[in-house]
Amino acid sequence: MRSRESGLVTERGTTPEAGAPIIEAGGLYKRFGNIRALEDVDLDVQPGVTGLIGANGAGKTTLIRLVLGLIRPTYGKISVFGTPVAEDPAGLRERIGYMPENKCLPLDQTAADFVAYAAELGGIPPVEARRRASETLFLVGLHEERFRYLGDFSTGMQQRVKLAQSIVHDPELVLLDEPASGLDPAGRDQMLELIARFREFGMNVLFSSHILDDIERTCDWVVMLDAGRLIHSAPLDPPGEGDRLSVEVYGDPRPLVEALTRRGVSATLDGAVVTVVTRSEDAFTVMRDALESSGSSVRRLGTSLRRLEDVLVAAAREANV
Amino acid sequence: MSNSRETGRDQAIIVDRGYRHYDGTRTGRRGAVRAIVREGFRRVMGFRRKAKRKLLPWTLITVALASVLILVAITWATSQTPAEELTDLVPRYRGYFDFISVVALLFAAYAGAQLLIPDRTDGVLNVYFSRPLAVRDYLIGKVLAYATVILSFWLAPQLLLHLGLAALSREGFLSYLGRTTDILWQVPLAALAYFVLHASLSFLTASFINRVGAAAAAFLIGSLGLNLVALFFQEATDDTPGSRWAALLATEQHPRYVRDWIFGVHESAEWIPAQAGFGPGISLAVIVGLAVLSAALVGWRYRRLT
Repeated sequence: MRSRESGLVTERGTTPEAGAPIIEAGGLYKRFGNIRALEDVDLDVQPGVTGLIGANGAGKTTLIRLVLGLIRPTYGKISVFGTPVAEDPAGLRERIGYMPENKCLPLDQTAADFVAYAAELGGIPPVEARRRASETLFLVGLHEERFRYLGDFSTGMQQRVKLAQSIVHDPELVLLDEPASGLDPAGRDQMLELIARFREFGMNVLFSSHILDDIERTCDWVVMLDAGRLIHSAPLDPPGEGDRLSVEVYGDPRPLVEALTRRGVSATLDGAVVTVVTRSEDAFTVMRDALESSGSSVRRLGTSLRRLEDVLVAAAREANV
Repeated sequence: MSNSRETGRDQAIIVDRGYRHYDGTRTGRRGAVRAIVREGFRRVMGFRRKAKRKLLPWTLITVALASVLILVAITWATSQTPAEELTDLVPRYRGYFDFISVVALLFAAYAGAQLLIPDRTDGVLNVYFSRPLAVRDYLIGKVLAYATVILSFWLAPQLLLHLGLAALSREGFLSYLGRTTDILWQVPLAALAYFVLHASLSFLTASFINRVGAAAAAFLIGSLGLNLVALFFQEATDDTPGSRWAALLATEQHPRYVRDWIFGVHESAEWIPAQAGFGPGISLAVIVGLAVLSAALVGWRYRRLT
């Protein structure tokens, strides 16, 4: 049972058990004929904004359709909010919003009419549905255009309407399938900012994308699928942690490595490039002191954060070993 | 007082409305079905759509209503002449079904295609089935929407005709209404027979064809073309044993034959099934059988789509 105040809500919505996973899958297989769409997936999706990443055909959309109860697993179990999907798919869908990747808008309807209709289909009574449609279109920045026909909208505006219909019935979980696809950079930024705000509204988000930057900017947790297999599921490192600094020096780099080791920082050597990764101290300060004491001269110096790409490449490599 | 009010108004800005949660009751699957019926009705009639979407349905509705006015006017005109028996030649309740049969067939073809095809071609089914809605609920909603528009199309002009004839009646308005109470069940029942047949064929074609115009054309060809096929078989293979069964292909004639049965007209030899020796009960069975077959095929199609 949710407990939310009416009006503005800034805290997260509560799930059946606080801290319990929103989605739990165990030994999940899905086959379409001879094609294995998902294979032995064990997955817990925690409350918050979760990124679902994988190449085309990795099984992202299949997983979303299983969560919605639109298809049944070949083997295994999947639960949402602690309820097995097979037990009450329609009841669960009342608590879920879905933004499909592909076109899903009736071009001969106005934005207000369509979003209100989507709210009614989600169980909101007609009068309240129209009110909520207006509010939700305001939220996504389409209040002025709400009485225009969807066929007259740009791609960016249509994406916003798709987003509006996914949240108009006040779902606890929103499934977004490639929400930023087809948008220009400015539109992409606005869309991601909007999705990041869902956290404030007490909504949990499962956000599918194949663009790492989008996931990195928006999500708390990342799940990676590759050819139907789960190869990574972990929280995203906050950007401040895991700073990495690489220095290329003139001459012998070993005195620098020794100086760094004396300061308790582990350094790796790759040719003339010394790399340090530190979580506890400012990497620049440590490096400056070590350079000074070792008498090394800097040829090149660069920073890099531990990127999601590195994590996922490592995970994919590990999975394929 | 007013100054402070104005100052307050000057300073007031909407920063962000945020998101309002909903804690009221939810209407569930029934509410979703009701929403589909309402939206389906609006779609067919062109409500809340651009003007060009209103053109065809309202032209057909205007023709249907205008034809009633013409019939009432002719009835009035003939009743004023010495040859008053001419009034009996003017089509009335049963005859009105034939009088606007082409217009009704066009409307039925358009409505079925409009109800099913745009949802598929616009990809909106993805949204519908992410809501608490099963395929069965969706199709029930669509059938109810179709029933609303088609039965209204048949019954509203009939009601107008009934009131018009009552107003012209020499025996008086109320006496006429009291004398013709049979009409109150005969006309709706006959309209129901038409609706079931049209819904079956229209939904079947609209489920498998992705263009509104093509589906409507397929429905019309299916309805009228099968009549010709049945007639051809009946005449060309008159002596062949079993050839009379081909008469059952005359789908468009079954509701007419059933309608005559409902109105107590037993000399319906003009209908192909009647000429082949089938009774109206067989025509009714064909209509019901087609409805069952259509429901199974449309259900199968939509389960595959989702």
